[in-house]
Amino acid sequence: MIDPCEKCEEMMQPFVDGALTEEERREAEAHLAGCSYCAKRYRFEEELRHFVRTAAAEEMDPRLKEKLAALRTPLE
Amino acid sequence: MSETTPDTNARRVAQEARDRVRFEEEALALADQVYRVARHLVGNREEAEDLVQETYARAFRSWRQFTPGTNLRAWLLRILTNLNIDRGRRRQRQPDVQPLEEGDYFLYNRLEEASPDGTIDEEHVVERLSQDDVVTALSVVPHDFRDVIVLVDIGDFSYADAAQILDIPIGTVMSRLHRGRRILKREMAESATSH
Repeated sequence: MIDPCEKCEEMMQPFVDGALTEEERREAEAHLAGCSYCAKRYRFEEELRHFVRTAAAEEMDPRLKEKLAALRTPLE
Repeated sequence: MSETTPDTNARRVAQEARDRVRFEEEALALADQVYRVARHLVGNREEAEDLVQETYARAFRSWRQFTPGTNLRAWLLRILTNLNIDRGRRRQRQPDVQPLEEGDYFLYNRLEEASPDGTIDEEHVVERLSQDDVVTALSVVPHDFRDVIVLVDIGDFSYADAAQILDIPIGTVMSRLHRGRRILKREMAESATSH
């Protein structure tokens, strides 16, 4: 029999993506309600995704924006 | 049949100029978001800036090919990823190198093991990671996987948009995203536990 925590680990990405079927989601939620080991790791996944998004966001140099605007077709 | 008089012709030209100006303004308003994605598709800031400029030069030339009402941001990114491949910035795939991949709990487990007393304040686990850990880890994820992570997890594109931008099936987007995130987490674990 497959270890329920291993199964839960497999379901984590589609769970957070909202890509599980209704039945799979209920199964994962039932396991998470009684398993703090998995529940902690699921919470971490959600925080991690947010962190990756913000950490990777690098502001554009304002001079690049000016260069892009200069590429516009001149008005006749 | 209506005649094309100088008057109707002038109106047509004026309308086209207005459409073009609106297109250019809408495209420029998306530049920050386009840059953010470009920055992690290529190796460094200069390359990303060049790529964004080439993208806008091409977009402004071929603006008539854009269908108004469709997703302009995805249209721009499609141009950008094609240019990126055409210009050979994308290193050739190394078919023999299989990226190492661990399970989805790997990063958390490693952070927990690496904490001084073996326990972890679960509210603040993510704070053990630095911005550099993310940027460094992303840069070593192989391109095929990185492209989908950058589009979906950083650029906030849907699976369907990412599939269209990269010209790959949606199932491939999902499987690359799944594996790519695992590779990314493994690399972040390496980076975070080595300093």
